[in-house]
Amino acid sequence: MVLVVLRRIGVFATTVVVASIVTFLMLSILPGNAARIALGVQASEADVAAQATRMGLDRPGIVRYVDWFGHVLIGDFGTSTVSRQPIGPEITDALGITVTLVLTSVVLALLFAIPFGILTAVRQRKPDGAILSGISQIGVAVPGFLAGMLLVTVFAVTLRWLPAGGWVDPGEDFGGFLEHLILPAIALGSVQGAVLSRYVRSSVLEVMREDFIRTARAKGLGAGRALFWHGLRNAAVPVMTVLGLQIATLLVGAVVIERVFSIPGLGSLLLDKVALRDLPAVQGIVLVLVVFVLALNFLVDLAFTVIDPRLRSAR
Amino acid sequence: MRAHTRRSLFASIATVMVASMALVGCSAGSTTAEGEPDTSLIVGLLATPGNLDYTTTAGAAIPQALLYNVYEGLVKLDNDGTIIPLLAESWTVSDDGLVYDFLLHDGVTFSDGSPFTAESVKFSLERVKDNWTANGPAYLDPIASIEAVSDTEARITLSKPSNSWLFNMSGPVGTMFTESGLKDLATAPVGTGPYTVSSFKTGDSLVLAANTDYWGEAPYMTDVTLRYFTDATAQTNALLSGDINFISGISQFQLVDQFKSNADFQVLEGASTGEVTLSMNNASDAFSDVRVRQAVMYAIDRQAVMDTANSGYGLLIGSMVPPTDPWYDKDLADLYPYDPEKATELLDEAGVSDLSVAFKIPNLPYAVAGAQVVKDQLAKVGITANVTALEFPAVWLDDVFSGHDYDMSLIMHSEPRDVSVFAAPTYYAGYNSPEVMSKFAEADAADPASYIELMKEATTTMAEEAAADWLYLQPAISLADADLLGVPKNTPSLALDLSTIAR
Repeated sequence: MVLVVLRRIGVFATTVVVASIVTFLMLSILPGNAARIALGVQASEADVAAQATRMGLDRPGIVRYVDWFGHVLIGDFGTSTVSRQPIGPEITDALGITVTLVLTSVVLALLFAIPFGILTAVRQRKPDGAILSGISQIGVAVPGFLAGMLLVTVFAVTLRWLPAGGWVDPGEDFGGFLEHLILPAIALGSVQGAVLSRYVRSSVLEVMREDFIRTARAKGLGAGRALFWHGLRNAAVPVMTVLGLQIATLLVGAVVIERVFSIPGLGSLLLDKVALRDLPAVQGIVLVLVVFVLALNFLVDLAFTVIDPRLRSAR
Repeated sequence: MRAHTRRSLFASIATVMVASMALVGCSAGSTTAEGEPDTSLIVGLLATPGNLDYTTTAGAAIPQALLYNVYEGLVKLDNDGTIIPLLAESWTVSDDGLVYDFLLHDGVTFSDGSPFTAESVKFSLERVKDNWTANGPAYLDPIASIEAVSDTEARITLSKPSNSWLFNMSGPVGTMFTESGLKDLATAPVGTGPYTVSSFKTGDSLVLAANTDYWGEAPYMTDVTLRYFTDATAQTNALLSGDINFISGISQFQLVDQFKSNADFQVLEGASTGEVTLSMNNASDAFSDVRVRQAVMYAIDRQAVMDTANSGYGLLIGSMVPPTDPWYDKDLADLYPYDPEKATELLDEAGVSDLSVAFKIPNLPYAVAGAQVVKDQLAKVGITANVTALEFPAVWLDDVFSGHDYDMSLIMHSEPRDVSVFAAPTYYAGYNSPEVMSKFAEADAADPASYIELMKEATTTMAEEAAADWLYLQPAISLADADLLGVPKNTPSLALDLSTIAR
């Protein structure tokens, strides 16, 4: 057991190092000169060369990599070449916003998907079940950014109930925070909610055909009780797998949603920094994202072993 | 309906009462309770500043937010493009055009409390040469010496007469700093302006508060938030939903019409300094022959490009001069009427057939849309334009601007009075005319009347020699709540002057 955990940690560390090298190499072949962007079109070529030296861009790649990654290991992401502020706090601020957005959308997606999925499973052969199932199909087909634009048009522009975008810190004004959170979270969670509800439905249908449900029914439990007491826990395993995979997708989806709603999250930060060729910041952000997704997968794996005792022995 | 009417009536009475209280000297304060004047303003902008230091960071976003609002110089440009006094009460120029005597306002302080005097003028301007890397430190090259005659008298002596020098003093390089305010230019600017920075979140917002010790007339708006958007639709949606009050310089013109029919908003159409230019690499094999460049001029229907790329908004200019510059000549717009046959004749005359050019454009909406029309029209006269959209700014600057590795491009030149820069032989356009360059130099040193005349001659020669095809002038379209007053209409300088806005 200890060996298994150690091996997993080893794999994790190796992946992070490889990811850092790949990130660094990819960004170093990116065309464009950060020094020219910093000085603009009025600067002469000589000024730009001097600026490149000041920014440390003329050092050999290996020196820049070791310098950067060595500092990252002790928690120092360096200083942004654009904002001239430490990158670490910029990333954690933006990450906090993105994680808040993603988690809220996951909660909303689950709140929708579980009851809706179970309902469509239970009402499978009935006309209303077919209609409900059709609704979730539409949900799967509408991309998040389109859902976002529709929500803004209806609730912000036409009805003026909610703001069209932006972000308010919860510590600053909690009501304002919720107002700004709700539309983007729904937009981001809508597709996931619809996808999840499909998985909940098929998972529940499958479980209902299992022998242990028949046994429970034979013992005199009603269909609903049998499902609730014996079925849902079993139905949760495949749904959890999908959810784990989806959170990584949601992080990517958040980039687009942040753009639509002008939210200063990690996605917006990444795009801004790429455009300005703020390479230390871009490297830091990508690395944080990679570590975040790896850690997430690790947690999902752990969660399985908690939910499903059979998986513990399988390792 | 009835309740609504009564409410409005009460609101009107309250407004009148508050207004009359304000008239007899009771300050209405900055609270936003019903009836009292709302002195907070939220502005939606597109380009976000990376930091707040325009002495070392390029880009229009920083001066747009800070110049005239937080920072001030001796002179400023008003909304019509005229140079007017700011920290200098007045000035005199010697007959030989070399010595400028500025009389400074008395009792001006920086926002950190330190006094503004003639020593500040000397300190700030002398600092430019060695410490500024962005926003054109070379603009101050004409200065030979700066002398603090007394606290309120500064004498600046030039090494040669220069008309553009005083104009440039109205821009970022003319900004007055105090030595104690330089500690953290990137996040905490210290100036003499009507506003101070109270918070800055990069990529999100910049919050300005009225400077309570401002030396001049206090601005109406006491709390101004500049909110930065990455998407023009998100920006207009925010205005429609009431999140923001004012958008300066909308970039996608198909979004404008919905505001024209809506009485809650005002649409202001002014002039910018952004010339959308079809640049031709004069130094390349393709375009070194003036007849080939002129053929391109006749081959392009500029109105059609403007209709497609800008939904018809803009002004056909035909030269690199906006109407806010004194040497603007509107006749240049008709120098090359759309005439594909003439274009074909010129190409035949130059002995060019099957011309194929590398058309490298920035990946910006107006350029992508405009390039498609240009490509189609060039095809009609037998020129094949191979369009490549390059990431802007990084790759475009590297390839086209610095590398000169292109035949044709399409880009907006937004800096004010940049025509003489465009004519420099080392510039990316590769236009090499010693005659035009010497005329610009002569103009800069001339008396004010000859200055305008000589500038006109030089810019006309550039148009006649088809140094580039200046397609159209980007309009400055501002959208604002209907109740806002004093919204700046034109953008003759880099600054967005907030001090005139009221409700």
